[in-house]
Amino acid sequence: MGGLYFSCTDADYTFNNKYDPVNMNLDPPALFFHPYEVNASVGQQISVELYGYKLNPAAAAQLDIRYDWGSVKVDSVVAGPFFVGNNDAVEIIVDEQGVLDVFLYYLPDMESNESDEGTWSLATVYFTTLSMGESELLYGPNTQFRDAQNDTVHINDYATGIINVE
Amino acid sequence: MKQNRNQPATSILLFLFIIIGQISFLSGTNRVITLQSGNKLAVLPFEGRGISAPLTAHVTEEFRKAVRSLNIYQVQDKDITERLEIFTPKSKTYWNCWSVGCAIDRGRQLNANYVIAGNVEEKNDTYLINGRLFSIDLETLVNDFSLSSFNDADSLLLELKKMAYTISGLPIPDTLGLGSDTTRVNELATDDSTPKLKLPKIPSKIKALLMSTALPGSGQLWSKKKYQGWGFMSMEATLGFAALISYYQYDQKWENFQENYDVYLNGTDPHNLLEYRPQIVQYAKESNQYNSYMKQIKNVAIPIWIINMVHAYVVAPNDDFFDGEFFFDIEYDQKINQVKTGLSIPLE
Repeated sequence: MGGLYFSCTDADYTFNNKYDPVNMNLDPPALFFHPYEVNASVGQQISVELYGYKLNPAAAAQLDIRYDWGSVKVDSVVAGPFFVGNNDAVEIIVDEQGVLDVFLYYLPDMESNESDEGTWSLATVYFTTLSMGESELLYGPNTQFRDAQNDTVHINDYATGIINVE
Repeated sequence: MKQNRNQPATSILLFLFIIIGQISFLSGTNRVITLQSGNKLAVLPFEGRGISAPLTAHVTEEFRKAVRSLNIYQVQDKDITERLEIFTPKSKTYWNCWSVGCAIDRGRQLNANYVIAGNVEEKNDTYLINGRLFSIDLETLVNDFSLSSFNDADSLLLELKKMAYTISGLPIPDTLGLGSDTTRVNELATDDSTPKLKLPKIPSKIKALLMSTALPGSGQLWSKKKYQGWGFMSMEATLGFAALISYYQYDQKWENFQENYDVYLNGTDPHNLLEYRPQIVQYAKESNQYNSYMKQIKNVAIPIWIINMVHAYVVAPNDDFFDGEFFFDIEYDQKINQVKTGLSIPLE
């Protein structure tokens, strides 16, 4: 019985995961790249997720991605769960010399919502590295979100990403 | 005439009736007025003075055997007589039981009709034995006897046999012999000179203290303090049960906390990391809450445990070993309703 009269350790924790959006000093709603830093070798295929942090309900988005087209080339883009409900998202990709425009549309039906919200991956971009060097990933000024009523959904903050090719 | 002839027969019958009536009346009254007493005799262990403890015990036992063999008294077995030691230890105070009051008290506890208390002393190569026979039923001293014999085992045992005859109220036969093995006496008499491994006796108070330290209330129960013993035991059991429940709950919450926190630390998906955050906070809060309950229970249980230990020590019976000879003593005095402490240093 004596053994029962003890006390145990108090739960102690620190939220210090580097991938936790809260630790990225972003002011939501915001957009960031996940992972924000990718190390790769020449000729390697890599993937970067375009991520929304605490986004308000949105039905469509134009994601204007700027990258160093001499260092990496875009292979493909796959829509993420933010715009995927019962139906797959409608997706249009336009890639021109370091400017990648991704148009995504939520495709509702009679039973599902017309829009979604929260922290989700919007799309995954697959690159192939071309040459050594550091390539910055940016959200361009044409990036915009619209809700089901075609009103603009405000984004507060935009983070950047880096691709290191060694 | 007929009447006259029948008169003696009637008188005889009447006389017989009266005689039978008287006999039956007297026999009936006899059972009531005679001071009948049982014959259970308890021989308390003799106190040894200047002789070894084993020899004293041997002399006591030989004396028991001698009295028993005469078939006048039903002599209590050594183990029964000495069981008083268990709950009211008086290892060295049988000699102190020299008064009628003490003897009656002891005799009643042992359920005996007679009690013999005595001592054996060796002085100038002579054994001196003093003893007293008390009647418990009559509450009086019946016989006061003493004998001395030279420092010779045969002589000592012979004298013990004679004493047994005297106690039993029988004439000592002229042909009284030893009929007993006396080698043991000489062996025991020199016992003190041969070193033997003897474990130290644990004083009852220390024994009760140790018992209650291991299991709360057990020392009190051993000391025949049933209510206090069960009280302490049930209090600690209740607190222990509460602590067990708290620990079980804590363990579950802690497990959930650890599981979620580990996933959080090793996770890479931002969406999942955000989902784990509130769960980690919740489980941490709950586990800390149950841990706090355990701490509170501990803060209550430990003082009760300590009080139980002190209480066990205080209520445990006093040993003479511990009383007066030991350097520290603590006991509860019911008369003044206070706990007394004492310090004693033997000057010998």
